[in-house]
Amino acid sequence: MQDLRKKRKVTLTMWLLAIVVGGLLVWGTQHNAGLYQDPIMQVTSVQTGQTSQEEDDFHNVDRQTQQVLHGRILNGQYKGQRLTVTNTYSLSGAMDQHYHQGSQLFVNLHRHQAGQLTATVKDAKRDGPLVLMLWLVIGLLLLIMQFSGFMAFLSVAVNGVLFLMAIMLNGSTQGARVLWIFGSLAVVFATLTLWLVLGANRQMVITLATTLGGTALSIIVALLVFHFTHEKGMYYESMQYVTQLPRPLFLAETLLGSLGAVMDESTDIISSLFALKRERPELSAGQVFKSGRQIGSTIMGPLINVLFFIFVADTFPMVMLYLKNGNSWGYTFSMNMSMGVVQSLISGIGIVLAVPLASYLASRFMEKKVRV
Amino acid sequence: MSTINVLGLILLVLMILVGGKAGLQSFLALLLNFGLLFMAIVLVAFHFPPLPVTLVVGLLVLALTIFMSSGDDLSSTVAFLASAAVLVILVILIVPVEHWALVQGFGPEDSEDLEGLSVLVGISFIQVSTATAILSTLGAIAEAAMAIAAGLSEILEQHPKVTMRALLGDGIAVGKQIIGTTFNTLFFGFFGGFLALFIWFTGVHYSFGEILNDKIFVAEILMILFAMVSVILTVPITAWVMTRAVAGQRRRKANQTDQ
Repeated sequence: MQDLRKKRKVTLTMWLLAIVVGGLLVWGTQHNAGLYQDPIMQVTSVQTGQTSQEEDDFHNVDRQTQQVLHGRILNGQYKGQRLTVTNTYSLSGAMDQHYHQGSQLFVNLHRHQAGQLTATVKDAKRDGPLVLMLWLVIGLLLLIMQFSGFMAFLSVAVNGVLFLMAIMLNGSTQGARVLWIFGSLAVVFATLTLWLVLGANRQMVITLATTLGGTALSIIVALLVFHFTHEKGMYYESMQYVTQLPRPLFLAETLLGSLGAVMDESTDIISSLFALKRERPELSAGQVFKSGRQIGSTIMGPLINVLFFIFVADTFPMVMLYLKNGNSWGYTFSMNMSMGVVQSLISGIGIVLAVPLASYLASRFMEKKVRV
Repeated sequence: MSTINVLGLILLVLMILVGGKAGLQSFLALLLNFGLLFMAIVLVAFHFPPLPVTLVVGLLVLALTIFMSSGDDLSSTVAFLASAAVLVILVILIVPVEHWALVQGFGPEDSEDLEGLSVLVGISFIQVSTATAILSTLGAIAEAAMAIAAGLSEILEQHPKVTMRALLGDGIAVGKQIIGTTFNTLFFGFFGGFLALFIWFTGVHYSFGEILNDKIFVAEILMILFAMVSVILTVPITAWVMTRAVAGQRRRKANQTDQ
């Protein structure tokens, strides 16, 4: 009983510690202007000006309001100087911001010949919420999942660093080999992640083979379909932020997107099958295959759903804007959602194909007697 | 035939071949989810308030995803209640963070896509971005809740007399098994989608500070982090709902034998 009470006390201390550290981190982001090269202004008072009503060609009514922001510069050579800038914000706020007292903003400074300093607002400073959420994830992960949480975080962090390196490499080759770079990266990603999650053993090798096989099959099926349908209804020009050849980039995006889900699924199926074999060593390969298919068919639907919502929900703001600008539903779908749907479908095919693949490989290559 | 139709048809056939009736049901759930998502957007475009629309659509999506995949009654009900609770907590978290981060709408990187479009459409984009962040995590919440609930109901089958405290611990243990791979699903899912954006950042030589404060970048990273928080929270909440449900069942059973 005393042990339990002690343990509870330790847990409570850890939670308190996490909250205090989180608070300190967020406080730090409000006072880190010195780290930035660009001038940052803190708003000390706001005067709200006139509001005007606007109506566009499609009868959308919006309101625009002027505000005068008084503030002082927090960093750089003009630190401490007082400034006044004007800002216009709208009710919808798609491209503008409504600032408040205490907001920190990046500004462009203009020095005039008379020594006068004026400025225009560039953008808001956003590192605070980013740090808060990052800390929330890390804190919750460590407090609830302890060591497993740490490993999960580690694998995501390592993958993040690798991802960054691959992007740099892609930049230095002008994007000519994007599919090769991210294709080989996928192999490294999968090997490393599975090694971190499962350790180096037979189970890991089978899972890795399934992951790579499933992902590769989905891309092959996609390429065949592209070939025979002549990519009808694929609007590469609708992809956002594209700075290089869109088709290989799209395939690389799809490849990465489905890799995680296929890995997730094959880990689930194969570890369940290993556990099953450990409990009932008398099961034949055929029976193992059958159970694998059954486990797989219950988890494949929800997994495809995960990717679908990630790929398609993201288009919400743009779809709405298209609809409000008098475009038809069909055109809006083609220009914004079709590529995300194609991506979800290709990943879905990979996820489904991984089920028989995982079941077959596990039933065939699992040791006759799994050691405990 | 267009590429989407052919790919969709292949997916349907494969799902039926692999999963039989369950596969067909999952495919239908996917179609209905797309319909719900599109309906949510159209309703918001018709000036229905974005947050209530998202909440209702979110609950429908969760119900559809969870009850249309094969699972026993107990684990489906528990998964649904738990994921609904996570959804509510998530809304309470996302609304203030989105207001603080000012990441609504579009950034300078979007200006090419926005050419010729009027952006003053009279709908609050802060609320639209909040809705987007909530919707993009729905799949992950449903999947995690179902995995935990299914794992626990299997444990209950094998050890019907397990104590509540042990069951709660088992829930966390199941969570520990899935968290590593679930995080990777989210990581790759989101980063696959943002590949073009990240290539843009390195190509245009943004400074580190500029990237960390960029509207689009922060919006996307916040979405991943929201999804991760919701998956982590799903684990203890599902385990807790399961203990409540099992405790209720046992109490009813005890009452019946008393009478």
